[in-house]
Amino acid sequence: MDRELIKLEDIKMYFQSRVGLFKTIPIKAVDGVSVSIVKGEALGIVGESGCGKTTLARISLRLLKPTSGRIFFEGKDITDVDEKELKWFRRRAQAVFQDPYSSINPFMTVREILEEPLILHKVGDRTERLELISKALADVKLTPIEEFLGKYPHMLSGGQRQRVGIARALILKPDYIAADEPVSMIDASSRAEILYLLKELQEKYGIAFLYITHDIATAKHFSNRIAVMYLGKIVEIGGSRELVNDTLHPYSHALIEAVPEPDPSNRLRERRVLVGEPPSPANPPRGCRFHPRCPYRFEPCDKDEPELKEVKKGHSVACYLY
Amino acid sequence: MALLEIVGLKLFYKSLRGIVRAVDNISFQLDYGEALGIVGESGCGKTSLANAIMKTLPSNIDKYEGKILIEGVNIVELTEEEVRRKIRWKMISMVFQGAMNVLNPVIRVGLQIAEPLIIHAGMNKDEAYSIAREKMKLVGLHEELFNRYPHELSGGMKQRIVIAMALVMNPKIIILDEPTSALDVSIQAQIMNLLKRLKKELNLSMIFITHDIALASDISDRIAVMYAGQIVEIGLAEQILLSPKHPYTQKLLKATPRLRGEEKPDFIPGTPPDLVNPPSGCRFHPRCPYVMEICREREPLDFELERNWRTKCWLYGGEHG
Amino acid sequence: MAMNLRESLKEFWRLNVSKVGLIFLSMLILASIYVVASYPLDFGVRYWNNPSYWADYPKSAPPAWVNLISSEKAPEHYVLTYTKPSNITLTGTERKLSYIFEIDFQADRPPSFISFTILDITYHERPSTVKLSVLRPDMKNIEVYSFIVSGPYLGEEPPYRRYYDQPKRISITGDMLTATALSRFLYREYNVTLRPSEVNSIGQHKILFSIPVRDREFKVLKGQYIFTIDVYTYNPNDEVGEVTLVIGGEVYGVMGTDSLGRDLFIGLLFGFPVALFIGIVTSTITTLLGAGLGIVGGYLGGRVDEVIQRIADFINNIPLLPFLIFLAFILGQNIWILVFLLVVFGWPTLTIIVRSMVLQLKSGQFIEAAISIGAPRWWIMFKHIFPQVAPFIFAQLIFFTPTFILLEAALSFLGLGDPTLPTWGQILEYGFRSGGIYVGLWWWIIPPGILIIWTAITFVLIALGMEPVVNPRLRKIK
Repeated sequence: MDRELIKLEDIKMYFQSRVGLFKTIPIKAVDGVSVSIVKGEALGIVGESGCGKTTLARISLRLLKPTSGRIFFEGKDITDVDEKELKWFRRRAQAVFQDPYSSINPFMTVREILEEPLILHKVGDRTERLELISKALADVKLTPIEEFLGKYPHMLSGGQRQRVGIARALILKPDYIAADEPVSMIDASSRAEILYLLKELQEKYGIAFLYITHDIATAKHFSNRIAVMYLGKIVEIGGSRELVNDTLHPYSHALIEAVPEPDPSNRLRERRVLVGEPPSPANPPRGCRFHPRCPYRFEPCDKDEPELKEVKKGHSVACYLY
Repeated sequence: MALLEIVGLKLFYKSLRGIVRAVDNISFQLDYGEALGIVGESGCGKTSLANAIMKTLPSNIDKYEGKILIEGVNIVELTEEEVRRKIRWKMISMVFQGAMNVLNPVIRVGLQIAEPLIIHAGMNKDEAYSIAREKMKLVGLHEELFNRYPHELSGGMKQRIVIAMALVMNPKIIILDEPTSALDVSIQAQIMNLLKRLKKELNLSMIFITHDIALASDISDRIAVMYAGQIVEIGLAEQILLSPKHPYTQKLLKATPRLRGEEKPDFIPGTPPDLVNPPSGCRFHPRCPYVMEICREREPLDFELERNWRTKCWLYGGEHG
Repeated sequence: MAMNLRESLKEFWRLNVSKVGLIFLSMLILASIYVVASYPLDFGVRYWNNPSYWADYPKSAPPAWVNLISSEKAPEHYVLTYTKPSNITLTGTERKLSYIFEIDFQADRPPSFISFTILDITYHERPSTVKLSVLRPDMKNIEVYSFIVSGPYLGEEPPYRRYYDQPKRISITGDMLTATALSRFLYREYNVTLRPSEVNSIGQHKILFSIPVRDREFKVLKGQYIFTIDVYTYNPNDEVGEVTLVIGGEVYGVMGTDSLGRDLFIGLLFGFPVALFIGIVTSTITTLLGAGLGIVGGYLGGRVDEVIQRIADFINNIPLLPFLIFLAFILGQNIWILVFLLVVFGWPTLTIIVRSMVLQLKSGQFIEAAISIGAPRWWIMFKHIFPQVAPFIFAQLIFFTPTFILLEAALSFLGLGDPTLPTWGQILEYGFRSGGIYVGLWWWIIPPGILIIWTAITFVLIALGMEPVVNPRLRKIK
């Protein structure tokens, strides 16, 4: 088996939320997640808003320190390492953000944006840096390069800005990239283009890739494995194709069922849908967190939490049905 | 006679950079009980089209012309006062994009539903409240939510409240502008089921505006595809979804990632055009794989493919090309 | 949306308030440059607050231009100085240095006094002789006064230097020698008999500038007067430093004088660089400090932020003016202490605003992006946060400037200004203190007030012009 590049072990992240004047209650954004990504692999994390997927991505980049649990990068525990001693990790792990409008500094030119990581990590001299910048721009297909170097973000379209964001993530030749909804704010007709680009670069450079999305359809096409999250927990994880075609968890089923496809017969039938909405992560239900909305719930579901079990090779689910 | 007939509608804005041709010569019809999906990417003018139909216009209007006939009455020619008295809420109402945020946070939701009845229809409170309760039931909300404040409700519930508000004066047409874009897929599916039910039970006509052609297929009898302020193809859902003719429609469908089946999503290279300075000829020509000489020079006419199915593309121009 | 510098300037220039503000500002700056280039740095101590320097000036005189609007013309005040003689006449070893002063006298009243001064005379053999004569418009010549420079002391070696630290000041008015000369002149030319003591009581200056009409009544004689001061020297190396003739008037200069005889024009002009200096320097330091603390507190958060915020709250809640008066009184009246105090009380407002802006920016994804590429905190604050708040900070800098100009004026007006640097506030304060306002010396009170307001308005106009640049919602659609 491949060596795990990044490994999250029983990560819990509780945020304190103030209720009233003096009382605070913990919001359990991530509540016991273990997952790892091997070199060159793309893992998709799918879930609805508030399920903790973004928090998990930020923890994997050590932009947040988890409440408990450990983060390993190439076997080194980086959970509590001081920011000053984390520079090597900052160089090798990068992020692509959701909002191409707010994730790059509007006062810097494309060249300055891409040069910043190189300066911070003392890579090369001026000419070498320009070479690396040109290469990164060519990688994300922002050509002719000279035309883009001096541009400010407001002169670029959303898709072009996101390419700048991707180029910034690539320029230090990282081993790991976490992308949080990288295409959700991009025009529908251009989304696939950005995703193909990410996939191509990820495969070309053998980068381990964490793809956070609410859209299980793109996760299926652009990642090797998919983990489905619900209320701070992974409920199912497995190979993308297998998870979509041979879905195990009732929540994954519902998620897939809810995604419309362009089919004129859709309008003639009602979709099978989940009842209600996800409960608050401040106060998750006892037992299986999904049980109040689950159409298949039975005896044990409201007592103890089901463990994530491997039911087929490489395909695990946390459900008493299996 | 159609319920709504729009002929040659234009809506241009003034901006710092020049004239924005947001709605540029659009024509279509909407029948009783019919749902029309309007699909287009951000900035294609679909929200402006909705505002033009509602006559809720900003102050920097450059041009507003054409015909919008609702049961034969031309809204374009009515005064603001007449539109408010006869058309808005009563004939046609709208659910705005991000509507959950338009709810007033300090007023109980039930009162917000009842408000237009008291103000516009001059009903007394009890009558208005009972209608509001009825509408809440209609959109699948429990009556006991009547006295709640917006922040006490979930996103899906707020969206239902907003739909109930739009329905309160029994309009014949409801325009929905991206009604689910802020919701998670599972809640989106619930709302779509609600809209299907309302359409059937109330024989409601709908204009469903979205960027997601797959979502449009969930409710639309007919679909219009918008690009750069124009409708490039309009036809029955079956025609548009199963045998699209305009290259943009074809590409847009291919760009929708499929969950079932192995077909990889495609994309359209380039970016949507600038409505201030659209490309010459066919506005899609810089991104079109089948571009011909004529496409660069002349704007394509509307070519009728079958009855009620037309497209703006020189590929189907026959003798014109 | 962010704008680049050119767009910002264009946007700024589009408004009329900006144009007017910039025109005003350039006027302020030009005046200041002129003053800094031409005034000595110790102007305050050496001249302004030195009463002997103003001894020759008329006291509480309105500006000369009031003659244009009043029916009876008041005599203008002349202070005329020569450092070189107009004429040199050689007779053997005797050298006559002539200083010729021409005065076109058109007032309806005679001057209020006449005096002349000699500064720094050096002789080697015989003491020099100084003579004053006047040629009147009626072509009559009067030998008014003469004296011989004091001779050598016992044992003094040549060269003999006289009047070099303090000028020799001769007042014609009140001088008995002159009175005698005038008495003779009246008798000779007009057959009027007046004893020298009577001449003295009427006033030598009055008789010199008029002709007798009836007994003891005189009519002002208008026209060209030529005053000649001749200095006779007897050695080629003898030298004369400076000769000054003062014709005392009732009006003076462009802006008049105060009760000490100080030329208000000079004092007001000196106020320009001082006001700009206090306004701009204080505002710059305040803005930099306030913004810096706001950025640091807002971005770092935690205890640093807590401490900064508590101090800011504390200072913000102290009643400003009484406390400033108290501190200025304790610490002394010095411009740097004043600037220091204004900074100490000025920064908290800005810190609180900038902090809240930074808190909002901090949640932006580009900050997280910067952290994820390993940017240290100071880097993020300097490279990513500062440029975003910079336009606002710059606008605040302009906006703070008039506040500090007004505060300085207020403190000066309360008598807490730096006495070595005259400011508009101080001129105003002295005007009030010496009762100028109660006896209607408007030229003393109004101009400094107008200048203070004008300078404040200049910066307010510029700040208004910058508003749309900083706040895009105010931008007009063309």
